[in-house]
Amino acid sequence: MPVILCHGPKGGTGTTFVAAHLAMGLSAEGADVTVLTFAARDTMPLHFGLSQAISLPSLTAPADEAVLVGGINLRHWTRSADDADLLPMLNDLGYLSPGKDRVMVLDVPSGDWRAARRIAQAACAHVCPLTVQPDSLALLPQMFDEAGTDGLSRTAFVINALDETRRLSRHGAAFVRELAGQRLVGRIRSDEAVPEAMAMLQPLSRYAPASAALSDVRAISGKLVDALHSTDPVWIAPSAASRAA
Amino acid sequence: MRIDARNLLDRLGRSDFSYKEFEDRFTDLELWPILEALLRDPRLQALDQPALQVAKSATRGNGEAPAPDERVPEAPKEQIQVLFSRYEHGSEPAAKASAPAPHPADSSGDVRALLRRLSAAVETEGAATGTAPREGDA
Ligand SMILES: Nc1ncnc2c1ncn2[C@@H]1O[C@H](COP(=O)(O)OP(=O)(O)OP(=O)(O)O)[C@@H](O)[C@H]1O
Ligand SMILES: [Mg+2]
Repeated sequence: MPVILCHGPKGGTGTTFVAAHLAMGLSAEGADVTVLTFAARDTMPLHFGLSQAISLPSLTAPADEAVLVGGINLRHWTRSADDADLLPMLNDLGYLSPGKDRVMVLDVPSGDWRAARRIAQAACAHVCPLTVQPDSLALLPQMFDEAGTDGLSRTAFVINALDETRRLSRHGAAFVRELAGQRLVGRIRSDEAVPEAMAMLQPLSRYAPASAALSDVRAISGKLVDALHSTDPVWIAPSAASRAA
Repeated sequence: MRIDARNLLDRLGRSDFSYKEFEDRFTDLELWPILEALLRDPRLQALDQPALQVAKSATRGNGEAPAPDERVPEAPKEQIQVLFSRYEHGSEPAAKASAPAPHPADSSGDVRALLRRLSAAVETEGAATGTAPREGDA
């Protein structure tokens, strides 16, 4: 069952935002989605309209402690991202093997890049959000080096928080488009509605249904969902399969 | 979204809005040495990117600005699909995805040709959406 890693070379570039919306997109298509966050200081609940007072249960916590938002199961990995038990545990839970009824979206902070590399080797895709700011671009060579050709072949790049009124941003975006080519799955415009929704303790889709960032991130998750669909239809939960039929 | 922005969008009959393109010239792109430095970094060439091919064909005397539809499009579906090919065959979790062959590394790629092409891409976008006055920080 698919494990999708969200991890970028630089912090603060929207990895958690993208992971949250990818989970929502997959869930809207009928998949049974679990989000697993790794940040010691986690802000994932805010993207679901929850308050900062909520702390997410661990992966192994019983079902009655689960935090479910719109059917999405939000969990936190309480140990180090490097913990050797992680991949065996995911395997025991049925991930990392064929079957597409359940999907897990992992939000791994940029600093945990060693763990992210190990997870990427087992994951079916790596979604890599970045901004086109120079400090984000400057980390790309190192990230490419760590990922290697095989890792990069399963990496989908996303430009986040793009402000095309800025000359440097336009140039940076043109650079990433040329560099990543087919591996760039889209761009998300910078949009004040993203922090505003958090301030309102509302999901972005409720607070600002017309948000530019929302429509952009939906387009991206739509493409990734399409890609999942196309390889094998059996991952789809029955409700979505009957809708598609 | 602020209520005044909301009202403006309603008046324009739009659901979202972003500022559109300003003109950029090749010389503008040359202003950023970091882009040039990155292009020269051999580690960036691990990606199966079209950039170096393009740079090479440009040096073969084919240096005209590309037509808009020749620019790198959004990722076609088939190419994204390879991302998820991992679980298609067998149950071996570490099975290798069918990775496309890497381009042979060529650290002598023509950086100027690539920058020119980037510039052309940005300019074409600007032309397609009508040109606004240059921003003040230019
Ligand atoms: N498209 C966007 N437009 C405007 N603000 C955004 C956008 N995407 C993310 N943000 C804001 O940027 C900040 C960082 O986002 P996020 O927490 O998702 O990044 P991150 O890469 O997960 O950061 P960290 O390294 O702390 O884990 C947040 O305050 C978020 O509201
Ligand atoms: Mg984060």
